[in-house]
Amino acid sequence: MKRIMIDPSKCDGCKSCMLACMDSHRTDGKTGVETLDFKDPANESRNEIVNDGKGGYLPMFCRHCSSPKCMESCMSGALYRDRESGHVGYDEKRCGACFMCVMNCPYGIPKPDVTRTKIIKCDFCKDREEGPACVAACPKKAIYVEEV
Amino acid sequence: MGNPYVIIGTGAAGMAAAERLRLLKPDALIQMMSIDTDSHSRCMLHKFLGGERDVKGLFFMEEDFFAKKNIMWGRGQVAKGVDPAGKRVLMENGYQPYEKLLIATGSVYGIPPIPGFRTSVNVFGFRDLSDAQKMDAAIKELDAKHVFIVGSGLVGLDVAHALLERGVRVTIAEMATRVLPLQTDETSARAYQELFEKAGARFRLGIGASDSVVDENNRITAVRLSNGEEIPCDFVVCAAGVRPNLAFLEGSGLKTDRGIVVDEFMRTSDPDIYAAGDVTALSGIWPNAMDQGRIAAANMCGQQQKYTDTFCIKNTINFYGLTMLSVGEVEPKEEGSQVFTRECRNAYQKVIVRDGMVKGVQLQGDISHSGFWQYLIKNQVDISGKLAKKSVFDLGYGDFYGMDELGEYVYP
Ligand SMILES: Cc1cc2nc3c(=O)[nH]c(=O)nc-3n(C[C@H](O)[C@H](O)[C@H](O)COP(=O)(O)OP(=O)(O)OC[C@H]3O[C@@H](n4cnc5c(N)ncnc54)[C@H](O)[C@@H]3O)c2cc1C
Ligand code: SF4
Ligand code: SF4
Repeated sequence: MKRIMIDPSKCDGCKSCMLACMDSHRTDGKTGVETLDFKDPANESRNEIVNDGKGGYLPMFCRHCSSPKCMESCMSGALYRDRESGHVGYDEKRCGACFMCVMNCPYGIPKPDVTRTKIIKCDFCKDREEGPACVAACPKKAIYVEEV
Repeated sequence: MGNPYVIIGTGAAGMAAAERLRLLKPDALIQMMSIDTDSHSRCMLHKFLGGERDVKGLFFMEEDFFAKKNIMWGRGQVAKGVDPAGKRVLMENGYQPYEKLLIATGSVYGIPPIPGFRTSVNVFGFRDLSDAQKMDAAIKELDAKHVFIVGSGLVGLDVAHALLERGVRVTIAEMATRVLPLQTDETSARAYQELFEKAGARFRLGIGASDSVVDENNRITAVRLSNGEEIPCDFVVCAAGVRPNLAFLEGSGLKTDRGIVVDEFMRTSDPDIYAAGDVTALSGIWPNAMDQGRIAAANMCGQQQKYTDTFCIKNTINFYGLTMLSVGEVEPKEEGSQVFTRECRNAYQKVIVRDGMVKGVQLQGDISHSGFWQYLIKNQVDISGKLAKKSVFDLGYGDFYGMDELGEYVYP
């Protein structure tokens, strides 16, 4: 399986990854971060950069865990292991919006969307041939894809 | 080929076990059976009753699961008993022999001993799809306008929500002085109460039903409350508690107390029989039932896996777009607790800390990134050092950040 590896020491908190994620999952048909509507709550990033309180930054990215607590607690079958990629996929149509996955991910990664009818979770940009948009956007190589 | 692995029940525990069994034993015979004629997620029953999903939409495994996994399924077949000495399950017409057996029969609801409740034809529970279907038929048949619900726990409010969606008015009696008493305190309860009232629900809190008015067709037409009030209704729903579904095991010799007694490997007092899910009384929630099912399956295949993630005082709630996470204590259980609360528009947060460890959390409004709270509570992580530097409300997984060599997050 491919995983987005993280080197927090290289992250300088520019949040290019967050913008790229928003751009990659937007539904208004446009592309390019300069055209992103930041006030549109439908544009939510699936990843996050957190201040470590010591002048450094901590990238928060779904790990597509080997034992994913989100998926193991899903009551609708919306969260599943993709056979081909090995990633933890999410089928919005099946989701019952119970948010047990939000509670059970020990790392606090997934979150309800603003409409409270689905979750926001990394899909590894599965429809993007070049791979995850966040990784391509990181100027510091603080995140990079590796086969694990 | 020998006898099959047999699983009684196609709920959370049974299905998770079946999937794991197939993974570990690609060629074994696997036979399931269930009273349910359609396997379904009980957590979505209200979506069926409310008209939001059809039966197919309640299924929670991959499509064509039974065919794809080559698992036999006795749809609608009732297990009448278990004969451990003969290694067979007693069915309505015959026996089903087993190599190893998993009992995953869930819970049943109780109907309180209120006069008329146990004998009338229009008193329902809400546990199985068949309950929802009966209620659906009753709504149509009686052109129901008003329903009386006993209990305002998660199940009671699920029913209330679904009925309100269909334009049926509801009155909910709750013995406790607030709604969702196991998950809330007064503040968080009030927010949900107001939302339900706005949608047309009436609550009678701190009050029980004590009697009923039954007509000549053996239907309850009104419920009397302990304060003397009489509430007319078209039918009654009991959502005031469940108990493990093990009556059919009587005479089997299997050890039971409140639930079927299992060891940490999910094995019962008989070495070839395992149990998982609500029927064990170890938990009454979905994630734990699935976990127990998977562990039981592994051990049925000769592995030695222990059920260790036993914590189960946790819920998420989502009604009318107001989300909530409730883990652990809702009010401090012991002296010497620090209680932190924070309230603003549409949001309420409460954290109970004792001896430097988090004992309970309620987050209402925004529950983004809140999964770490459960970890802190169930593993009793000492956070006193963190609290010296920041507010408890600013804690996040970042405060415990770490990674292993494969890039998976870990806790220190
Ligand atoms: C309305 C409702 C809402 C809920 N919401 C949530 C929620 O949001 N979050 C959460 O964590 N939990 C929730 N729960 C609880 C959760 O659904 C249960 O904990 C879970 O379903 C337990 O799984 P189980 O496999 O042990 O039992 P069940 O899912 O109840 O399955 C039992 C199976 O056994 C079969 N069976 C029983 N007796 C026999 C017999 N004698 N012969 C043959 N088959 C038999 C039944 O037909 C069924 O297939 C909810 C429950 C209800 C009723
Ligand atoms: S959401 Fe959390 S538990 Fe699920 S795969 Fe991602 S990091 Fe793992
Ligand atoms: S919110 Fe959706 S994806 Fe998450 S556990 Fe519930 S049904 Fe599954």
